Amino acid sequence: MIKPLPFRKQSPLTLNLWNAAVVVGSVMLCALMLILRLPVMVLSGIGPNWLLVWVVTWSIKRTSVEGVLAGICLGLIQDGLTAAQPTHTVGLALVGLLTGRLNKKRFIQEDFISIALIVFAMALMVEAVAAIQFGLGGTHRLEDVWLHFRQMALSSGILSSLWAPVVYFPLNRWWTRYHRLLGIE
Amino acid sequence: MLFLFRWWERYRLGLILAILCLGGAWIFSRSQGVGLLEVFRFISGPAQTDAAKQKQLVDAQTVQLRQQMADLKSRNQTLQELLDQDSVQNKQAIAVQILGRSADNWWQQLTLSKGRTDGIDVGSVVFAPGGLVGRVTAVSQGTSRVLLISDPTSRIGVIVSRSRHMGILQGQSSTDAIVTFFDKDPDVKVGDAIVTSSLSRLFPPGLLVGKIKTLKLEQNYNPQATVELAVPISKLEWVTVYLNDQTASLQKTVPANP
Repeated sequence: MIKPLPFRKQSPLTLNLWNAAVVVGSVMLCALMLILRLPVMVLSGIGPNWLLVWVVTWSIKRTSVEGVLAGICLGLIQDGLTAAQPTHTVGLALVGLLTGRLNKKRFIQEDFISIALIVFAMALMVEAVAAIQFGLGGTHRLEDVWLHFRQMALSSGILSSLWAPVVYFPLNRWWTRYHRLLGIE
Repeated sequence: MLFLFRWWERYRLGLILAILCLGGAWIFSRSQGVGLLEVFRFISGPAQTDAAKQKQLVDAQTVQLRQQMADLKSRNQTLQELLDQDSVQNKQAIAVQILGRSADNWWQQLTLSKGRTDGIDVGSVVFAPGGLVGRVTAVSQGTSRVLLISDPTSRIGVIVSRSRHMGILQGQSSTDAIVTFFDKDPDVKVGDAIVTSSLSRLFPPGLLVGKIKTLKLEQNYNPQATVELAVPISKLEWVTVYLNDQTASLQKTVPANP
């Protein structure tokens, strides 16, 4: 249960400002982590896909439309950090769509295991989408893309799902409290 | 007797813990805290630059210098009269710290902590001890992004330093890259140094890229070779960036057709 409610007396506007700050701050943090590659987070040069974890966390309690929007925004951010061609928006938007459509009430308890499994599957999907984009793009040879995909998708999925709670837990906690304070839930 | 037994039953856990703590503290004080320091070193290990890495970098630099010398010697024979005017070049390079790596697993990029304000521009060539690292592809006021030579989209004209056979080097998203030779039967063997070609418009010639690891010459056309890149890119923390004027002047001084 959530005991202290320091924001109880705050107006909805202040609350929304706080929420915006949390959203922007967490996305920036995720983007920063994406390029940092701290030694403990790296498996053979591959790090977790923090933005993917963020999109899953965001979409898990929201509609698929919100999920797609978040996916596109974060995909654009990732484009800005690497290269715009091929774009990352397709993969992340799909992640937002699918996570938003998951019937959480029936199939999935909101615990770390479910989140980790969702993130794992979504990471595989994002890499597959990227592989298809690279394969169709013509800059890479198909067999190279396939080889790289096989080497990388699994490590990316495992790392992302292992680190998912780091993003999921605080954000989910904040949003639960935020919605409760606003009287949405 | 029963009193003693009860006392022991009641306090034995605390007693054992107290003795353990005291004993541990005593051992710790006698050993000048070595144990704790070792634990600390172990924990912070990933953040330290260990000696093996340094040695690898120094070794790589030695190889680079040796190969550069050999390359200069062989080039000198053909280019002596053309190069005599601009042989002394004022090298303008800055050392830059690496801020981060590429933000996904498909691109091989670096983010550097200096940008346009320090004179870096798109196309600036990036080095590290050992040889070529890549080329700046995007630059902002305070940062710049480097496309590494290990990226599959990066193709570089290279030559075998010993026999001057030309080829194109393409990254493989790993520490190895693949050279495709133009000649059907190139004179190349395992261990040969691969340097940038003087025909390359993007890179100054004669820079060590790597050395041949395995050969696949039996293919009918386009014989290929796997090249081990000279720079341990994943371990780098600092790189050297040649500012653009310098790259330009290097290109100007080198004739297009040796």
